[in-house]
Amino acid sequence: MILYDYVLSASCYKVRLMAALLGVRLDHVAVDFHPGREHRGLAFRALNPAGTIPVLVDGDLVLTESTAMLVYLAHGTAWMGGDTAVAQAQVQGWLAFAARLGASLGMARLHDMLLYAADIAAVRRDGVACLRQMEAHLVERRFAGAIWLVGDGPSIADIACFPSVMLAPDGGVSLDDYPSVRLWTRAVRSLAGFIEMPGIHRLHELKPAPEAV
Amino acid sequence: MTRAWVANGLSRDLPAGVVMHGAWHGQDLAIWRSASGQIAAWKDRCQHRGMRLSHGFVRGETLSCIYHGWVYGTSGACGRIPAHPGLVPPSAIRAEAFACCEKDGVIWVAPAGTEGDVPDLAGLHPVRSLTVEAAGIEAPGLTGMEILQGSVMIAGQTVALGLVLQSLAAGRTAVHALCGGGGDVVAVSRWLEDLRRRLERGVAA
Ligand code: FES
Repeated sequence: MILYDYVLSASCYKVRLMAALLGVRLDHVAVDFHPGREHRGLAFRALNPAGTIPVLVDGDLVLTESTAMLVYLAHGTAWMGGDTAVAQAQVQGWLAFAARLGASLGMARLHDMLLYAADIAAVRRDGVACLRQMEAHLVERRFAGAIWLVGDGPSIADIACFPSVMLAPDGGVSLDDYPSVRLWTRAVRSLAGFIEMPGIHRLHELKPAPEAV
Repeated sequence: MTRAWVANGLSRDLPAGVVMHGAWHGQDLAIWRSASGQIAAWKDRCQHRGMRLSHGFVRGETLSCIYHGWVYGTSGACGRIPAHPGLVPPSAIRAEAFACCEKDGVIWVAPAGTEGDVPDLAGLHPVRSLTVEAAGIEAPGLTGMEILQGSVMIAGQTVALGLVLQSLAAGRTAVHALCGGGGDVVAVSRWLEDLRRRLERGVAA
């Protein structure tokens, strides 16, 4: 499986993270997203007419939406979130919610880091609305003794939402106001096989302190 | 009047091994809980290069700065400087500690040396904290109050409620909410969401 990848992209990281948690090996092709804008070039458009990253290629299959890639990678595992109608519908709800996170918190980050044109006040406001919605949901999950967005274990719903939330401060939106969201991000970062990206670090305390030399 | 004790969240939101950002009248704080459960609040500033300690991490009974890894014990004293592993750090290198205590499931901070007078919320249990984009709760007789207590009809039940208000920068207010035993916490949480929508619309509760 080949992932057309860019290290600073939250959507690409989403797929790298899912693969790492599942123990699936990906081959990476680095796309010069910034400053090269390679994803908007003719060669890349031949692969993905939308000109977006990531792209996942497995034989004849070409996937261009990161949430679809999560489904493809996690199919047949507990990461799908369970097979009841309720669980599957809830997972789909969070996958759609992840797109809202990308359009709000994700766009604020692209504006601040890569100078994308955006109504920054509006996208930050939308991002805060998303975080509040997530916080309210996770508060109720915690009352029920759970921490994941759906069900009793981590699922593609959590992985779909995690990168944009964790990178919110890069777009000028603080996570200080959302204690349950913060504890949820810690739960994700505690998963076996978790990997980092610039701006998202692992929980350093999970490894013993390096010995004095 | 500047109040000494300022609520900074709920104990349930700061489990062992976690550090979070807090504030005392505009002064940024790092509030953390050690593995054994000890809580501490310090000025949010590393003695080395001033990095926010709330960006650091807790390991055992210590808080480490994320930048160059200086390690502070619960007393605030710096016990280890990774770049100089053989050096015992001078005792003058210590985080600036605030007084910090927990009562009725609420975390309170005050300047070091502040004694007593932690507000009482006995009989109430913590529900959740949320931030309102409004400076305080402006309602007749309530303006400027720090703790609101009373009974409210929520989802057909009379619920004893305590709202502890914490003024934040930029005209925002954190509301740390508690309710009486037997209160339906999910219903209270949803009521609080509704309260926030009303307050942000400028409609008094
Ligand atoms: S700034 Fe904290 S260790 Fe250097």
